[in-house]
Amino acid sequence: MGSYRRNILLPALLISFFGVTVQSSAQEKYPDRPITIVAPFPPGGVADLTARPVAAALEKVMKNPVVVVNKTGAAGAVGMSFVANSKPDGYNLLLALSSISIIPEADKLFDRKPAYTMDQLIPIALVSADPTIFVVNASRPWKNLKEFVDDAKKRPGEISYSSSGVYGTLHMAMELLSHSAGINLKHVPYSGAGPALTALLGGHVDTLASGPAVVIPQIKAGKIRPLAGWGAKRVAALPDVATFKELGYDIEFYIWAGMFAPRGTPPAVMKSIRESVKQAVNTTEFKAAMEKLQTPIAYLDAPEFQKFWDKDAKMLAAAIKRVGKLEIPEAK
Amino acid sequence: MTETLHNLYLGFSVALAPSVLLYAFVGCVVGTLVGVLPGIGPLAGISLLLPASFGLDATSAMVLLAGIYYGAMYGGSTTSILMRIPGEAASVMTCIDGYEMTRRGRAGPALAIAAIGSYIAGTASIVGLMLLAPPLASFALRFGPPEYFALLMLGLLVLAYMSGGSMLKSLAMAALGLLLGMIGIDPMTGFFRFSYGLVELGDGIGVVPVAVGLFGLSEILLTAGQPTAAEVKKPRLNELLPSRQEWRDSIWPIGRGTVLGFFIGIIPGSAHIISSFVSYALEKRLSKHPERFGHGAIEGVAGPESANNSATSGAFVPMLALGVPSGPIPAVMIAAMMVHGISPGPLLISQQPELFWGFIASMYVGNLVLLILNLPLVGIFVNVLRIPYPLLYPAILVFCVLGVYAVNGSAVDIGIMTATGALGYLLRKFDFETAPVVLGLILAPMMEMSFRQSLAMSSGSYAIFVNRPIALVMLTVGLALLLLSVVPFLVKRVDWRQRLGLEAGQEKETL
Repeated sequence: MGSYRRNILLPALLISFFGVTVQSSAQEKYPDRPITIVAPFPPGGVADLTARPVAAALEKVMKNPVVVVNKTGAAGAVGMSFVANSKPDGYNLLLALSSISIIPEADKLFDRKPAYTMDQLIPIALVSADPTIFVVNASRPWKNLKEFVDDAKKRPGEISYSSSGVYGTLHMAMELLSHSAGINLKHVPYSGAGPALTALLGGHVDTLASGPAVVIPQIKAGKIRPLAGWGAKRVAALPDVATFKELGYDIEFYIWAGMFAPRGTPPAVMKSIRESVKQAVNTTEFKAAMEKLQTPIAYLDAPEFQKFWDKDAKMLAAAIKRVGKLEIPEAK
Repeated sequence: MTETLHNLYLGFSVALAPSVLLYAFVGCVVGTLVGVLPGIGPLAGISLLLPASFGLDATSAMVLLAGIYYGAMYGGSTTSILMRIPGEAASVMTCIDGYEMTRRGRAGPALAIAAIGSYIAGTASIVGLMLLAPPLASFALRFGPPEYFALLMLGLLVLAYMSGGSMLKSLAMAALGLLLGMIGIDPMTGFFRFSYGLVELGDGIGVVPVAVGLFGLSEILLTAGQPTAAEVKKPRLNELLPSRQEWRDSIWPIGRGTVLGFFIGIIPGSAHIISSFVSYALEKRLSKHPERFGHGAIEGVAGPESANNSATSGAFVPMLALGVPSGPIPAVMIAAMMVHGISPGPLLISQQPELFWGFIASMYVGNLVLLILNLPLVGIFVNVLRIPYPLLYPAILVFCVLGVYAVNGSAVDIGIMTATGALGYLLRKFDFETAPVVLGLILAPMMEMSFRQSLAMSSGSYAIFVNRPIALVMLTVGLALLLLSVVPFLVKRVDWRQRLGLEAGQEKETL
């Protein structure tokens, strides 16, 4: 019995001892221990590939270790709710994508207890924003957007598109197009952007909205044809591809990556993080890393990012409401 | 041909450069390790090492990551054979006959044939990758959801032949696996199914915790439940290599496993896992003595272990020739290329010959390294069996928990492992095979996805499965298999099951 007690007491003592030291020094200076950036998607995904160079650059600026942790699951909900519910001390940060605004809306749609709410998180900075590109299989007849829209109007529900998953970013991009052009397309969801592109290449679907980096090599090889882009400006590597805005559709859509902290993080700590991120995204190493990924840096500091986020979230919420609960087509 | 040789020369000049060679070696060692450790498999290993590869040049990074992938296929068989714990999911089938061999004192030959089969399959399939990548990749693209569904259906039907015991029981277990696979987010509507408020269950039940629980934990529990510790014959050191008869039995399964694994590898999905199941079923079907399966048949080790290795080369075909992933592991490797500013796509082979041919050549070298690494390890690994159970089993338990937790960093996975461990114990007490549960669990999400995608493509018309030639052929073959297996039930013809008295409730007939 005596030794049993000692076994419990010793670790408890150790924990309380170290716990106290950590807390008292945390008040003096930030940061004094490793910072974790949570990427809510698996290694190799956009969030992960953006988080790594951010962490590397931040580490140098802050002169403090910055670690990327992949906390994956439920389309990112696991990692995002982890940060939303973690202690607001500046040591658990989040690098999330546009889908951060989608999950709470989808939870609402299904009357689920939300995994997290958007006001549990406050923005630090927008890091990158990549406009999606509208591509079609090269064997399909449409040479430009007008031909495509005209044909889609003639054959409602017959032209198909693949996506990274239901209510995912690529699904939302196509929903914006369908709504704006007044067309009805057939949606075939896949589990991820990679399989969705494979399906387009194999001709199992007709069209796809995709981030530019992965489709550019396929466009150059003549396998697929770009018809338009969702950006405000044309993509540098595809100067001949007009934007939807130029073509008369008032839609804009980006797959963006931004950093967030839990609400309640002390203002002094927030200030320190924001300044460090600002310096980090301006380093040559970070620029070189993003250049290799062919992802444009689109830095916005917290106040401007908040405005950008609000606008984007509002647009996505409206799109999700329009989509509503998905119905399975009746068997014939 | 001369061009291929010239390119291969270029490749070897890249692959044999000291730095590239070093990374191939490191990759193979790490791969063997993640393969040996229960739970943690090649995907987790590659994911963990991906950030470390960012500092290397593109070729070294690819060589390192590929080494982990095929290295894990070598290592995965070790714990399966010695302790009945799948080192990674592709070694589930190896547990069955590999562990039986261990119990008969043939652990050495089982480990050796797994390594040699892996080497032959690995090397032969690289030849396939080298010569056939572009045409095969275009063929793989023709596999859309209907074709994929038909293929999985076919896979499910071969299940009927898989178990050693009652067909009814094995089908019941497959159904249990399929049901477990229904847990998680509905891929077509986003609705959470059977998640009971646990966000972690949104992605469904993982294969790794279930495989470790059903096989590993249940084995530990069963051993602990016996009045005297199970007898495992200690291997003698002069019996580490396969006998002449074992060689003869293994050579064709290795050959068939190689071809089968390569072609299954090309098709999207968790190919290395499925290929091992299909190879086991095929060997059992072709064997003159199917009754030996489940009781230490070396074919049941040689076939699946070769298949899962050559499936890794197959999985690289779409990645290198088209720039599209055939599964989660190639997807991570594509990301590794993009980090280095290389855009994977149809032009990769012509634009990056050093990368492509260096990669190919490094795989020849890596497989040789793995063979040299693994054969002497056989002698060391079999000595694990000399550790007394009271010390060995708690240690294994710790490794199982650590490995399963490390995959996703999720405590829910440990809970799943524990629950399936208890379930596995009960099932085996009642003589149910547990392998079909794992296969059902792997197939269910893929089948559901491809079935419903097909119907989304056709706006709900089932005609899509018969209008497409590849799908039609596979479904016809599947139907034929099904009919063939039903015939004995209907006309009471004697098949080998009855001959052995394996079908419960049916009288033994003498021939």
